[in-house]
Amino acid sequence: MTDTIKSEPFVLNIGPQHPSTHGVFRIKATVDGEKVIDAEMVMGYLHRSMEKLAEERTYTQNIPFTDRTDYLSSMSNNLGYCLAVEKLAGIDVPDRGNAIRVIMAELQRLASHCMAVGAFTNDTGAWQTPVMWCFREREKILDLFEMTCGARLTCNYMRIGGVAFDLPAAFVPAARKLVQELPAFIDEMEALLVANEIFIARTVGVGVLTPEMATNASLSGPMLRGSGIAWDLRKADSYCGYDKYDFEIPIGYRGDSYDRFVVRLEEMRQSVKILKQALDGLPGGPHSTQVPLALRPPKGEAYARVEGPRGELGYYVVSDEGPSPHRFHIRPPSFINLSALKEMTVGGSVADAIVVLGSIDIVVGEIDR
Amino acid sequence: MAVTREWSGHDVAAALEAAIPGAVAKADAVACFIKPERLIEAMHALRSGAGTDFVHLTNLCGVDYWDHFEVVYHIQSFVKNQICTIKVECWDRDKPSVPSVVPVWHGAWMQECEAYDLFGIRFEGHPNLHRILLWDGFPGWPLRKDFLSMPGGLQPGLNEFSGIARREAPPVRPVND
Repeated sequence: MTDTIKSEPFVLNIGPQHPSTHGVFRIKATVDGEKVIDAEMVMGYLHRSMEKLAEERTYTQNIPFTDRTDYLSSMSNNLGYCLAVEKLAGIDVPDRGNAIRVIMAELQRLASHCMAVGAFTNDTGAWQTPVMWCFREREKILDLFEMTCGARLTCNYMRIGGVAFDLPAAFVPAARKLVQELPAFIDEMEALLVANEIFIARTVGVGVLTPEMATNASLSGPMLRGSGIAWDLRKADSYCGYDKYDFEIPIGYRGDSYDRFVVRLEEMRQSVKILKQALDGLPGGPHSTQVPLALRPPKGEAYARVEGPRGELGYYVVSDEGPSPHRFHIRPPSFINLSALKEMTVGGSVADAIVVLGSIDIVVGEIDR
Repeated sequence: MAVTREWSGHDVAAALEAAIPGAVAKADAVACFIKPERLIEAMHALRSGAGTDFVHLTNLCGVDYWDHFEVVYHIQSFVKNQICTIKVECWDRDKPSVPSVVPVWHGAWMQECEAYDLFGIRFEGHPNLHRILLWDGFPGWPLRKDFLSMPGGLQPGLNEFSGIARREAPPVRPVND
């Protein structure tokens, strides 16, 4: 661009109430013409002080809070918190409990990635059709959750020591049917978007993150893998018996928004693969161990993490031998994935900023807690 | 079965002592405590230099232990599949301050803002330390243990477990800064 036409930089508020911010989140973008020259994030509109509230409730009473942080992946959040308390108190989970946890976590990953992929295509201008297809498939997964625990969004299904109740008899046949249907849906999405000229023009080379930048900015999940780092906690730190299942870690090579999208699509395939194995090898026996309601773990601390749909979902719990945690800290992946937002958006256009934000796949309930 | 190796505090202390003598304050089974004035140096060494490559700052948070604060860092290595816990103690309750590790890991930026917002711990050298979740005029630091006092001396939660004695809360201090 030549400097013959002078323009005055001005501040453009993207959000807080705007469909592309996926919640109540604001980017204060300073733009020069259509070029973003500075971006500042404003958050906290949904802050509910969960970490403080959790210090006054028992360990079991805190499980529903975790549903409400990342409300698109409540099962994974339940799992991360329960693993942290189990690590702190030295509680073992029976095999069936672990297998059910894996099934639920992978179903949740599918549901969450459906939402991520659908909303992202919406942001790039593939208006409504892909997002409705994604919602259609997500509904089927939520139906399975409803069948199991009565809730569709805030499941509150995991418990310290296992899961709340055993699977209903109709669950396994219904899940098998869904697992057979899903690959066709993923192929359909891929055929619609991956080689689509407009989609490629909007996403390739937008919001490029090198592996060094991604590591330095503490990113995790599809953001990190899209930049070419094959780091997946299910493989690296195989909790819940993930080492028994055969699956691969998809990675991207350019580190742009397109790669992050493709990584998510491919992860859905891998989740289906895990689900097939988990449903086939579902062991019998108890689904949970008995844990006292007013649990008092020994003095100490534990940091446990799971590979949530958005990345590393960590829980840091400190016990002072009381009935409630002394400190309850959530490491929210979408909050920390925003660390690189400025680097990705500055220098691009305003429309690219929307694409970049969509490719991060934020959930504001988790950013603000 | 691949499991991330969790370094004990003693292992980290031994590695650090070899690279930067005198940086470690103490070590226990979980964490290695570093002297605040040597923190940046020690973190650079852990990132690369002390035979370690903890390139990824996973988690950073503050903890209030009534008489002092701790800042907890969980850092991990992708290549070696290791994680360790680093802590820094901060005994000045009125003006708590810890050096910022943003020069070492850019990912500390927002997490340090969060710890400042909720605990009031100042991270010296942070490029833009501000209240990230609450608004600028918010009174006090809500995650401090002495923050919450309800009307009439009531204590929230746990009424149904009547046999359980509550922790004794010290008197509420005036909040400075």
